Amino acid sequence: MSEMRFFVDPVRCIGCKACMQGCSECATHRGKSMIHLEYIERGTSTQTAPMVCMHCDLPTCAAVCPADAIKRTEDGIVQSSQAPRCIGCSNCVNACPFGVPRYYPEIDQMLKCDMCYDRTSLGKKPMCASVCPSEALFYGTLEEFQSRRQGTPSNTFQFGAQTITTKVFLVLPAGDVGLNMDVLSHMDARFEPDAFDHLDPFAHLEPLPMGEHL
Amino acid sequence: MLKPSGAALPPRHDPDPVMVPVMDVTLDRRGLIAGVVFSLLLTLAVYLGSQRFHGFDGALAGYCFATVFALFGVVYRYAVWLQRPATRVYWKRGWELFWQPGQRLRNTLLFFKMGWEKMLEQRFIRKRSRDRWLAHQLIFWGCVIAILITFPLTFGWLRFESDFTHPSNYLVVLFGQRLEFFTFPARGVIGWLFMHGLNIAAVLCLAGISLAVGRRVKDEAEISTQRFDNDIMPLVLLFAVSVTGMMLTVSNMFLEGKFYYWITTTHAVTVMLWLLYLPFGKFFHIFQRIANVGVWFYKAAGANGPQAECARCGEAYTSAMQREDLKAILPDLGFDYRNNEQAVDNWQNLCPGCRRKLMTLNQFRVTGKEFM
Repeated sequence: MSEMRFFVDPVRCIGCKACMQGCSECATHRGKSMIHLEYIERGTSTQTAPMVCMHCDLPTCAAVCPADAIKRTEDGIVQSSQAPRCIGCSNCVNACPFGVPRYYPEIDQMLKCDMCYDRTSLGKKPMCASVCPSEALFYGTLEEFQSRRQGTPSNTFQFGAQTITTKVFLVLPAGDVGLNMDVLSHMDARFEPDAFDHLDPFAHLEPLPMGEHL
Repeated sequence: MLKPSGAALPPRHDPDPVMVPVMDVTLDRRGLIAGVVFSLLLTLAVYLGSQRFHGFDGALAGYCFATVFALFGVVYRYAVWLQRPATRVYWKRGWELFWQPGQRLRNTLLFFKMGWEKMLEQRFIRKRSRDRWLAHQLIFWGCVIAILITFPLTFGWLRFESDFTHPSNYLVVLFGQRLEFFTFPARGVIGWLFMHGLNIAAVLCLAGISLAVGRRVKDEAEISTQRFDNDIMPLVLLFAVSVTGMMLTVSNMFLEGKFYYWITTTHAVTVMLWLLYLPFGKFFHIFQRIANVGVWFYKAAGANGPQAECARCGEAYTSAMQREDLKAILPDLGFDYRNNEQAVDNWQNLCPGCRRKLMTLNQFRVTGKEFM
């Protein structure tokens, strides 16, 4: 059987937050969700964007860590920060091109998605991919992906002059080999005169447990 | 109030490495010099503190040599570690902010306050997990007690002698000075505490090790991420040191000194292995952890100055000092996030939230689909 891969396809995201709930139940995440779910343009759309760690081949977060606390294991997983080493500086939070690491002030440590290492290291699916109803987050072989989906999985991203390759794949239209991360075409809609993007249509919902009891 | 620094740090200057004769390896020049200087200073302190080796216990010489070598290793690795671009920034900025004129007394007091919270009380570990904190505190204080007793003993700085006027009493001899004012009955409570100080330390360590091993055996997260050399080896070494150390007392008190020579040799070997592991393994985090206090100063100063706003959404998300320092070190690390677009000339000028959204926005852009 060919190698198991992680495919993200935010276009399919329906914003159900099942991934966040599942993520918080993973043993290595200790009750905290490592998934970020962003609302794209709250005022005009319900579109959401799930963000997991892309597990870069040359992780910027690890390079800028002064304490050498972020390690990439032989299987290509960029692990969460090592508890004894992380000194809570947030360099990784600010440097990651995908905006993934999160600093938790109460424990003075950065935590991030480790692709549910307690599960994937044993051949199981990550929690988020196992519960995602729309397969915006999909874990399986390339053959499985191709047998049920269209599009080209790509793991090459261009951030200005910097090319980043990752273990996780983003689904692009057939034939596209990489994604040029453009900013100017997507300046925040809140700056538009008629935008009301600052309103959170989901604000009335009870927030998900984020591990206060742990 | 701590103020952030806007001055650019001086450019890096890396001295040539030192070739090791015969062996095909090089050593870092700064690390080598710092390691040799600190080791020589410790050797000098041993020489003077033991009154030119008069008070030095030859039976403990092996421990002393291993400690000097461990100090060399720790200082060497620390010096090399400080040369990592990000570490260098925090080291330089940390001292720069700490020594701000008018703030030094306040900063010194804050240093001790943060030192207590972060180094001794280890409050952040308690927030992570009480079990983990308890195990860590037991091991930490066990090691601290053991080090406070054994290092002065092996360096010849401290020994105990009989009080001539009351032969059943002991007194402390520190740096060759008989502390006549502090005599205590050898078989009293204080005497028992002194004589069994290392046993108390060993019991604390063994209790902590038991809790730590229990967690490492049961916790799925630990099982999946732990490595033998990094996570199990330190516990094995501490266990070996504690058990062989307590066996000395067992042999002395209950076995009429049987196997004593064999046990002393085994104990010496385990302690030396622990000392030699100190610079290379997990225990190095003891020295790295001090940087946590420096980071606290850096963050506090950054919060009092201008904030970096996201080039896309305009939200402030970090201190301007940290963003500029980060952008300055990225080229040294082989990353170039500069952009030709004037409005956003560097990807690093975006907040993490916008970076996350932009992946989806760009996916929509290339697929030509519309939002839900």
